[in-house]
Amino acid sequence: MALKETISEYRRPLLGVASVVGLTLVWEIAYTYFIPLDPFFFTKPSLIGVAVKDQTLSGELWKDLAISSKAFLWGFSLAVIVGIPIGVFMGWRRRAEYVLDPFLTALYASPLVALAPLFIIIFGVGLTGKVALIFLLAVFPFIFNVFAGVKCTDRLLVNVVRAFGGKEKDIYFKVILPSILPYIVAGARIAIGRGIVGILVAEFYGASEGIGFAISRFGDTYRLPEMFAAILLLMIMAVIFTEGLRKLETILAPWKIGQEAR
Amino acid sequence: MSPDPNLITRHTGQSRIERNSRALVRIGVSALARFYREREQPILGAGFILLLILAWQSLPAIVSLPRGISLFFTTPVEVVKAFYRLVEANEIQSHVYVSALEFIVGLGLAIAVGFPLGLVMGRSKVIDAMLDPFITAFNATPRLVFLPLLMLWLGIGIWSKITIVFVGAVFPLLINTYEGVKNVDRVLVNVVRSFGANEWQTMKIVVLPNSVPYIVAGLRLAIGRALLGVVVGEFFGASKGLGFMIATAATNYKVDVVFVGVTIFMGLSLILTHLVKMVESRLSRWRLEEAKTF
Repeated sequence: MALKETISEYRRPLLGVASVVGLTLVWEIAYTYFIPLDPFFFTKPSLIGVAVKDQTLSGELWKDLAISSKAFLWGFSLAVIVGIPIGVFMGWRRRAEYVLDPFLTALYASPLVALAPLFIIIFGVGLTGKVALIFLLAVFPFIFNVFAGVKCTDRLLVNVVRAFGGKEKDIYFKVILPSILPYIVAGARIAIGRGIVGILVAEFYGASEGIGFAISRFGDTYRLPEMFAAILLLMIMAVIFTEGLRKLETILAPWKIGQEAR
Repeated sequence: MSPDPNLITRHTGQSRIERNSRALVRIGVSALARFYREREQPILGAGFILLLILAWQSLPAIVSLPRGISLFFTTPVEVVKAFYRLVEANEIQSHVYVSALEFIVGLGLAIAVGFPLGLVMGRSKVIDAMLDPFITAFNATPRLVFLPLLMLWLGIGIWSKITIVFVGAVFPLLINTYEGVKNVDRVLVNVVRSFGANEWQTMKIVVLPNSVPYIVAGLRLAIGRALLGVVVGEFFGASKGLGFMIATAATNYKVDVVFVGVTIFMGLSLILTHLVKMVESRLSRWRLEEAKTF
């Protein structure tokens, strides 16, 4: 009886786990007993598991990951530092919005990754090129989310601060900043995805180290288990960051949930 | 009471013609000011973009660029010239054709798979729960990680690009269709059900019309992802296509050709997203009232 209740309560996650485990098993069994495995073309979970163990124990993948993370952190921090003020400025000053909005919207909507080869030949295959590309891709989500956040700031609160003799500075730090916080987090969630795109493109295109380079090198040398291991690692990190920020978003702005549920 | 015109003439010493022309100028200026006031937003927006292009064009004339930079530098006029050159040589057309083919086939496949799958997931709790971990994982990860794998499996022909476009575009479509189905009004579904509608009829009468705006929004996202797939896919291993053109031009320091390619991509993506946005706002017009009351 108790088991039945537990099952019905956790039905959804149980089904999810079951399907992941089931697929892995089917994959493993099919390539062990039924389909001859061509190691230059495909691989199976047990081999990937061994590759994950070897790569993480030897520290090779961590080294590549650390190099990519460094570029990512630089580009991402620059995007935060530049994007938030531009967004606030655009949201708070009407004329600034008129001037900047069409230009930045056009850039945000277009595939800026197309500029990657140019960035690589200008800045080289090292850290600078990656940082520049990540910054370019990650800055727009911050600008536009902060912009939307400032637009949604409660005018009443602004007026209260003004009425009690608050300065322009007080409006920024006491009203605008707290109210745009959830929007910054939402921007960060989108920016992470775009930033990872930046890393991958830059490192596929021309690099000598990094997680993207590792993936493409494993591909070129037909080391499929290692390649899957690297992809898996990147996927796990992306899920942790994205879902973590999504959780943070719902904590900071629970009213958003109500909006989505409608 | 209006002042005597003769009085003014005596004071300022203006002839009637002078006075009239002054008045005309004043009317002209105020009309211009009104014109500006009414259209301040588009004027400032377009003005800024024009100003940037002008500044870009005149930069080499104002400051002399060091050799290292002038190698990577080009001007808008050069870019336009390069565009005409490529069009005349019939080069652009073949690149655009290949890229467009990859885009259309990939996006078409994504619609053909993502849309029905989203509908099924939205209606069936079991399938939803079973597919959810995969979709969360794949959606959080940029699908470009699979590019080397797809190159290995499918080679450098158009199929590897079609596949990368497909995996990029399918998730926004799937997830938005799913959201649309999930957000359908339960009451409406129950009404149709109690009048004896089966699953197919419920789908046709209530679920589909309700989720159309979500699906169109998903399509807009999917177009962006698809273009990303085309560009990046062609950077690494292709023999034709706009992305290939950009990558080869960059390695040969033909910066003007790089910008031709980038501009075409930008233009296409702006036009396509704008078209879908127009459809979106048309379709969700009736939705606005609901949003306002929130």
